[in-house]
Amino acid sequence: MAIAERPSPVLARSGGTALVTPSSSLGVFRRPVSSTGWRSWVFTVDHKKLGIMYGVAAFVFFIVGGCEALLIRLQLAAGSNKVLSASAYNQMFTMHATTMVFLFVMPMAAAFANYLLPLQIGARDVAFPRINAFGFWCFLFGGLFLNTAWFLGGAADTGWFAYAPNTSVAFSPSHGVDFWALGLQITGIASLTGAINLIVTVLNMRAPGMSLMKMPIFSWMVLVVQFLLLFAIPVITVALFLLTFQRNFGAAFFSVDKGADPLLWQHLFWIFGHPEVYILVLPSFGIVSEVLPVFSRKPLFGYKFVVFSGAAIGFLGWGVWAHHMFASGLGPVSVAVFSVATMAIALPTGVKIVNWTMTLWGGKLRFTTSMMFAIGLIIEFTIGGLSGVTHSVSPSDTQQTDTYYVVAHFHYVLFGGAVFGLFAGFYYWWPKVFGKMLSERIGKWNFWLMVIGMNLTFGPMHILGLQGQPRRMQIWTEFRAGDGFFNGAFWNLVSTIGAFILALGIFTFIVNVFLTYKKGEVTPGDPWDARSLEWMTDSPPKEHNFDSIPTVHALDEFFHRKYVEDEETGELTQVTNYAEIMAEMEAKADKNIHLPSPSYWPIVLAIALPIVAYGVIFNRLLAVFGAAVLLFAIFGWSLEPSVADASDYDPPADGDNGESTKELATLG
Amino acid sequence: MADIATPTTPASEPDTTAAVALGTEPDIHGMEPTPGAHDDHGDAHGGGEHGHATSTGLSNNKLAMWMFLGSECLLFGGLISTYMLYRGRHEGSPSPSQLYNIPLTSVSSFVLLMSSLTMVLAVSAAQRHDDRNTTTWLTVTALLGATFVGAQVFEFTEFYHEGLGFTTNLFGSSFFTLTGFHGVHVTVGIIMLMALVGMINRGKIPGNKAEVVEMIGLYWHFVDIVWIIIFTLVYLIPS
Amino acid sequence: MPVPSNAGSHRRSRARRLALPGAAIAALTLLSSCAKDAPQDTFQPKGDNARNIDNLQRTPFYIAGGVFVIVFFVVMFCVFKFRDRGQKIPKQTHGKPALEIALTILPALILIGVGIPTVKTLFMLAKTSDTQCVINVTGQQWWWEYDYPVQAGCGGITEPIVTSGEFVFPAKMNVLLKITSRDVIHSFWIPALNGKRDAVPGRVQTLRMEADQPGIYAGQCTEFCGLSHAYMRMDAVALDAASFETWKTNQLAAYESPADGTPAKTGESTFLTQCSRCHQVNGLVNADGDPVISRPDQYVYSGAAPNLTNLMTRFDFAGASFDLITDDCRDKLWSAKPADFSALYLKGVTPECFDPVNLREWLRNAPGKKPMYADPTKLGPTDGKTRGMPNLNLTEDQIDQIISYLTERK
Repeated sequence: MAIAERPSPVLARSGGTALVTPSSSLGVFRRPVSSTGWRSWVFTVDHKKLGIMYGVAAFVFFIVGGCEALLIRLQLAAGSNKVLSASAYNQMFTMHATTMVFLFVMPMAAAFANYLLPLQIGARDVAFPRINAFGFWCFLFGGLFLNTAWFLGGAADTGWFAYAPNTSVAFSPSHGVDFWALGLQITGIASLTGAINLIVTVLNMRAPGMSLMKMPIFSWMVLVVQFLLLFAIPVITVALFLLTFQRNFGAAFFSVDKGADPLLWQHLFWIFGHPEVYILVLPSFGIVSEVLPVFSRKPLFGYKFVVFSGAAIGFLGWGVWAHHMFASGLGPVSVAVFSVATMAIALPTGVKIVNWTMTLWGGKLRFTTSMMFAIGLIIEFTIGGLSGVTHSVSPSDTQQTDTYYVVAHFHYVLFGGAVFGLFAGFYYWWPKVFGKMLSERIGKWNFWLMVIGMNLTFGPMHILGLQGQPRRMQIWTEFRAGDGFFNGAFWNLVSTIGAFILALGIFTFIVNVFLTYKKGEVTPGDPWDARSLEWMTDSPPKEHNFDSIPTVHALDEFFHRKYVEDEETGELTQVTNYAEIMAEMEAKADKNIHLPSPSYWPIVLAIALPIVAYGVIFNRLLAVFGAAVLLFAIFGWSLEPSVADASDYDPPADGDNGESTKELATLG
Repeated sequence: MADIATPTTPASEPDTTAAVALGTEPDIHGMEPTPGAHDDHGDAHGGGEHGHATSTGLSNNKLAMWMFLGSECLLFGGLISTYMLYRGRHEGSPSPSQLYNIPLTSVSSFVLLMSSLTMVLAVSAAQRHDDRNTTTWLTVTALLGATFVGAQVFEFTEFYHEGLGFTTNLFGSSFFTLTGFHGVHVTVGIIMLMALVGMINRGKIPGNKAEVVEMIGLYWHFVDIVWIIIFTLVYLIPS
Repeated sequence: MPVPSNAGSHRRSRARRLALPGAAIAALTLLSSCAKDAPQDTFQPKGDNARNIDNLQRTPFYIAGGVFVIVFFVVMFCVFKFRDRGQKIPKQTHGKPALEIALTILPALILIGVGIPTVKTLFMLAKTSDTQCVINVTGQQWWWEYDYPVQAGCGGITEPIVTSGEFVFPAKMNVLLKITSRDVIHSFWIPALNGKRDAVPGRVQTLRMEADQPGIYAGQCTEFCGLSHAYMRMDAVALDAASFETWKTNQLAAYESPADGTPAKTGESTFLTQCSRCHQVNGLVNADGDPVISRPDQYVYSGAAPNLTNLMTRFDFAGASFDLITDDCRDKLWSAKPADFSALYLKGVTPECFDPVNLREWLRNAPGKKPMYADPTKLGPTDGKTRGMPNLNLTEDQIDQIISYLTERK
């Protein structure tokens, strides 16, 4: 069995040029090499550990954002509740959206992508493991930084869309918007570096034989999302810079008295913001496109169509941003163009729903919790997608925009779509990641509570919105809620009750995780009779993922290794099983597997960013100090080799060239 | 086998980012672009006996740099759009046509353009494994870049004295932001060039020096091209 | 290879048992959805523009509903028909391109069918050439100002009229609103009459308004505009042509100072010292007999304060947030028949209907009643100016006097 080997100090290169090895980072520090204990997590560059950390951190933010949502719903349970003051309410809905979008759904998708993408394409890690670690710490520190605003004078209170000029100091005098702009800037770095990293990984590091059209659909969707991020993040970066310059350095970008045009912000924000919607939802589309075939025992119906529709959504997503601005006064010509473009994007989305449904058709369906979430997604997302089509009718949208109808729409898309997909992913890949099954019994409770909860929470919002209740209102009035038993007051109350049922559903999931951790059954390596490469290794996988890198011959490689199809009848015969395949791979295990070594620098570099950001807000000297840490970390990083030098190990490795294999030594 | 690796200055902030990935792939020209071949681990962890090939044939580092530059296009796209929207709104300061010193900026632009040429020479020297010429041309490139930045600092000071500050009006804010961002990019490039010279001199760059030089070259050329666009749109086309 | 079956039959049947109530809830939701007479219902147009939108939007809603029902039942069919009963692993089919293409073209055709009328309606709603009356609408944190410029339209306006809270216009006439803002972005929305239009500072945007019948129509600011966004409302009031003429005359009537010795007279002087620096009352003169011109721009960051000349011709105040009349009177006004409405409206706030509670609380501590940015210790970012009305620390006597004075502003 192959074991991650210590690097050899002996250098050789085919070109014949003598190479020099830096002996240790900056010539001062020994690099971390722990493979156990907290150090093995904090300094890790392993995509699997980072994936788990992404997941845990994102879930914590999910709970934070969920509590914010519950407070909002409590406030709106009755017309003039006093749970939250106007100021607190405005902060609450701003941070609810910001947290859910930037600190939960995006990083949770990143968690799946990080963990699974290299496994799905048969790679041993991502292309740039240290940058991967850096991205995670940027996300975490950016998210924590954003939330410290609560304790330092109040969080942002301008809505997640932060329309200028309401974000100017005069209109939002607390530091909340500063925290918001700088915090998102930091998490933006996480997304941008992550995007570059994963694109390179997918394009360059696929297993032999895995052409792009043999790549698992989840990896495809992740690839599309990374391209969206790559081009969307710089746009919001510009917008956030303009905002920070406006607020902290007196620039004039949004000063209407100096002739500024407030629509500039809207355009920049939504050029980012609309692709962002697809950034949020496409990973989940990828997840259900993996889950449905496995539990239907059929390949994804129209794989190519799903791939191309994903890519088409990626392209068209750039041409529809102004549909968020139909009431802004763009003029009828622009509105007509964006209206039609928005209708067009319904087509590739519809293609996906058709393909998922047709995947079920004629299958052999097993209703595991994961499968139920995936089917739930088809139904709930269809509702969200269809209400989206009604928005594309721009005159009708001028009645619906900024009402609860829109809130209903995007929660069906983001909760019924993105979050259901993520939960399908949790239940599907949990045994892969942790080696134990989540309880299916509790899982069913989890699913039904969430389905009932979400429909009770967000379903009534359709009615509320169409009956004229605007969003972002701290209070609503009995008078405008209408008469009759089923008036606005009733539906607001139902929605609040639904929110608590939903919360109960998510609590059930946490209980499930806890019980599984305590006494879950250890799973077989291939519990679902799965189809793709990530299942063709141990659960949880070894540090180096695969003993030998498989050569890929087909889409659903793993399935086609297990089953052979009779060409005439289409009948399937099982020819081998997981254990045999694993034994075969182990037999021809690679001898020398180099894994990137842990490093201090990602976390040090990442922590410099919030220091700079606090400095920009409170004290320029602190910013200078932060910048010094930043520079120090960059140079430390640049001078550190990606694989630890032998002398950094304890005890030091000797100079053999990999015939013997060794475990990574622990330090301290 | 030993691949050493890859100091990669990560994207710290989108403006100062420069994935100065000092890669160690084997000489790119000697590599078969075998689709489907596999690179077993990351951080540009190439080289070694089994000669990693990547699916695209492009090394990880270079592909990453291309992606990063693609992203940068939109960053400058956003900044240029902002400037184009606001350049006519110069109440309270001299107008752009009164301020711009076209001859001076033309000369400094020319200097920056020439630095692309010297960068090409540095890359070609690096590909010949000619360390001395590599460092010489890198230094010249950095000096030309520094001349450009110096001219920009001079220009900014002049404008400030003539009444255009960062906060004066929309034209001021967007002009200084756009050209300032570009200036920061050039400065980061200079720091990378100087660091590279230092590391080559001390033999701190393991593996494929030529690719490292080439990557920084990519970045440098990109910054130059962006300047040509900025120079045309900001200085040459009258508002 | 043995695969653990996770879907035992008893679990499946439970799923089915739970699916039915779920579907029932969904059906109930659809059937019983609507409140009666919700004043901001987007499906009850009361004017041409909103009706154009309504005619357009119903079809996509029906189509969307139909598509959902189809998807739902196809998926449910699969769920019940194709569940694992130990059948063979199905043939590994990879899709049917013909079906895919057909199912792409079909919705494309539907969308073209929806798209054409959408664009038509869009241009219809953007038309400005056929309007007969122009009213300027200005949003400000957190109320709307309506300004009727001198024009031949609107039946002729000879002197500008400035009002707030209730937006009065002639019924059956195509009115053009010119909408802007003094501070942040707001959005003007009277659902029964038309869709929204943002009020963007530095831009003037237009919106058509037409009401079939005299009546009062509720609206709300729908672009998040800061702290008190929830308290920024408006009512649109359509009057028949003759009543609108009367209304204009009333608005421009000469100022009548209260009779000497009345509490209202004392109130006038209190108003002069406490209120008139921000709130304009046209025709008010100071002790020297000079006209009093308020300068809200010196005290209020956004630059204006509601004109109170004819406060009691309106039925609410502070961004249409608080009523000046009792609930009974309000309900009578809102449910008045179109034929009776104009006359009832022109009566203004009668002594029988007047309910001073809200006004009193407001004068006692305005920021306590409606969240505003008026804490004198925290006005740094706005150079000492407030956003909204500060607490003036009036005595109860002063409040009584001011109320007496204001009740005469008709």
